[in-house]
Amino acid sequence: MTENIAPYIVLSGVRKAYRIGGEMISIFSGLDLTIPQGDFVAVMGPSGSGKSTLLNMLAGIDSPDSGTLRIGTSRLDQMGEAARAAWRAHNMGIVFQFYNLLPMLSVAENVELPLLLKPLSRKERRLRVDKVLDLVGLAGRAKQYPALMSGGQQQRIGIARAIVSDPGLLLCDEPTGDLDRKSADEVLEMLRFLNRHLQKTIVMVTHDPQAALYARRTLHLDKGDFVEEKRAA
Amino acid sequence: MTFFALARKNAWRKPLRTVLLMVSIAVAFLIYGLTASFLNGAQGTAGASDDILGVTSAGGRTQPLPMAMMPRIAADPDVAAVGYVTRLRGFVDVEKNVVAISAGDPDRLLAVNGKGLGLTPALVEAIGQARDKVLVGRALAEAQGWRVGERVAVTAFDMARADGGRDWRFEIAGIFEGEDATTDTYFMIARYDYVNAARARGKDTVDAFIVRPHAGVAPGELAVRIDTLFANSATPTRTQSEKQFLEAFLRQYADTGLIVNLVVGAAFVTLLMIVVNTMVFAVRERTFEIGVLKTLGFSRRGIMALILGETLFVFAVGGGLGLVLAKLATLLAGPALGLVLSLPVLAKALAILAALGLATGALPAFNAMRTPIIKAFRTR
Ligand SMILES: Nc1ncnc2c1ncn2[C@@H]1O[C@H](COP(=O)(O)OP(=O)(O)O)[C@@H](O)[C@H]1O
Ligand SMILES: [Mg+2]
Repeated sequence: MTENIAPYIVLSGVRKAYRIGGEMISIFSGLDLTIPQGDFVAVMGPSGSGKSTLLNMLAGIDSPDSGTLRIGTSRLDQMGEAARAAWRAHNMGIVFQFYNLLPMLSVAENVELPLLLKPLSRKERRLRVDKVLDLVGLAGRAKQYPALMSGGQQQRIGIARAIVSDPGLLLCDEPTGDLDRKSADEVLEMLRFLNRHLQKTIVMVTHDPQAALYARRTLHLDKGDFVEEKRAA
Repeated sequence: MTFFALARKNAWRKPLRTVLLMVSIAVAFLIYGLTASFLNGAQGTAGASDDILGVTSAGGRTQPLPMAMMPRIAADPDVAAVGYVTRLRGFVDVEKNVVAISAGDPDRLLAVNGKGLGLTPALVEAIGQARDKVLVGRALAEAQGWRVGERVAVTAFDMARADGGRDWRFEIAGIFEGEDATTDTYFMIARYDYVNAARARGKDTVDAFIVRPHAGVAPGELAVRIDTLFANSATPTRTQSEKQFLEAFLRQYADTGLIVNLVVGAAFVTLLMIVVNTMVFAVRERTFEIGVLKTLGFSRRGIMALILGETLFVFAVGGGLGLVLAKLATLLAGPALGLVLSLPVLAKALAILAALGLATGALPAFNAMRTPIIKAFRTR
C-alpha cells in the first residue's frame, strides 16, 4: 500500500559515526530509507544498533556526517541549528520514553509549552490545549501536576504536548518502554488513532514486539541497515 | 502561561534557595540605597553651595576667630555680604538626642545664604522679637515634634554659661525650610548676641565667617585673597567653598566616600559571586530539561532569554525589596542622618540592578545555550 504515496521522509547514503574512546564507531554507513506520508513505522533492533540515533537525526537534534536527509520539502542535513529549531517547532512532535515533562508546570502548562513558540493569543493557546487534553482523555486534569500521576497518564500528557502544535510528523522513542501492558496498550491505541484519523506520520522506536503490531509496518535495524518484516495484513 | 511566567516558575522551583538569593540581593541593595542616600543627602554635601565661602581658622575648625576680622573681610570689593556663626552642640532631654545650634546675626545670614537656608524676612523679623528666640530647621522640628511658640532647653556639651550652667533656653520663633530636599535643616539658628552675652568663655569670637561673593566673582580667587589677608596675623584662616568645607568636615573622621564605595563594592562582589555560583548550578541541574525544551523547538535565543528572564526576576524582586526598605529608612530616619534617596540615586540603583541581573544570568545562559541537545540528553 505504500508504493503509490509520495515519499515524505527520505534518507539516502546517510553516514554516521561516533567517536567512542578515541575510536570511530560507525553506526550507519550509507543508510537509505523512505517513509511515505501517513505511514506508521515501528523501528526495532538490538540495543546499540542506532535506533535512537536515527530518531534524533529525524528530529534534527543530531545530524548525519554525510548523505541527504529530507523531510517534506526541508533538507535537514543542510539546515543550521536555528533553522532546525524553528522547523521542529512547526513540523514535528516528539514523545520520550521517560515523558520528560517539566515538574514545576501543571499538566496544561506542560502541554502549552510548544505553543509559546507560535504567534497565538492566550485564548487560542488555551483552546488548543483543552482540545488535545480532551483527545488524550485528561480534560479534567489540566490543573494537576504530572509528578503525582501514573506513568500512563504522564505519557498521555507527553503525547498531548507532541501534537498540540499540530505537526505532521510524530517521533516516539520507546514510548511504552516504561509502562505496564495496559497503559502501554492505551498509549499505542492513541498513536494508532492519531495515525489513522489525524493523518500523522509516525516513526516509533520500540523493543516490544506487541507494540510493533500497532504500526503499519516494522523495520528491523541490524548492523546499520534495515530489514523489513513481512507480515500478514 | 507566557514566556516570562515560564522563567518565573523556573526561578521558584526551589523556593528556599530563591528566597535566600532574593534576601541577599535585597540586603546588598539596602546597603547601597542607604550609603548612596548618605552621599547624596545633606551630609553628603549635595545641597551645599560652591559659591558661598566659609572662613575658619587655619589651626582647626574648632579654633575661634576674633569678631574683629569681619570688617577686613567685608572691605574686599568682591564680597557681597558677610555673616558669622558660632556653633553650639548639645542635647535635648537625653544625651543621644543631639542637636546643633548655629548662633549668628539673622540679618546677615539672610543676606549671605537666605536662599540656601530658606530664610525669609518674616522669619528674620520673628527671631528679632526677643534675644532668646530661635529658628528651627524643618527636619529638626519634625523629628522633635516642635511647634512655633514652644520653649526648648538645650544642654550644651562644651559651651558653658557665665552663670555656671550649661542649659540654654530658647523659644521657637519660626521654622525654616531649606532650599530643597537636599538641604540640611537638622539644626537651629539662634541669635549671636544672646549666646555671646551669656557664654563663659570665648566672648566676641566666632567659629566661622560666611562670605557671599558678588555675582561673577571666582570664589576660588577670593578665598585665596582672604587667606592671604590674614596669613601673618595671630589667627591665619582657611577659606573654602561650603561644599569643600562640608567634605573636609566629613573627611575629618574618614574619607566617607571611599569607605562607602569599598563597603558597597565588597558587598556587591561577594553577592555577585554567590548568586552567579548558585545560578550556574541551578541551570546546570536543568541541562537535561533545557535539552527537552530545545527538542520542542525552543531556539538558542529563546533559552538565553528564559534564563536571563529568570535571573532578572530574582534580581528585580530582591533589589526592589532592598530599595523599598532603603527608601522607607530614609523617610523614617532620613532627615536626622541626612539621607536622601533621590530619583537619580534610584535610577542608578535600577541600572546597577539590571546590569547585575544580566551579568549573573549571562554565564549560565551562555552555557545552556551552547550545550548540544544530544549531549544534554546524555546527562541523565
Ligand atoms: N552522542 C553520542 N556520542 C557517542 N556515542 C554515541 C552517541 N549517541 C550514541 N552513541 C553510540 O552509538 C550507538 C548507537 O546508539 P543508539 O542510537 O542510542 O542505539 P539504540 O537506541 O539502538 O540503543 C551506541 O553504541 C551508542 O553508545
Ligand atoms: Mg535508544
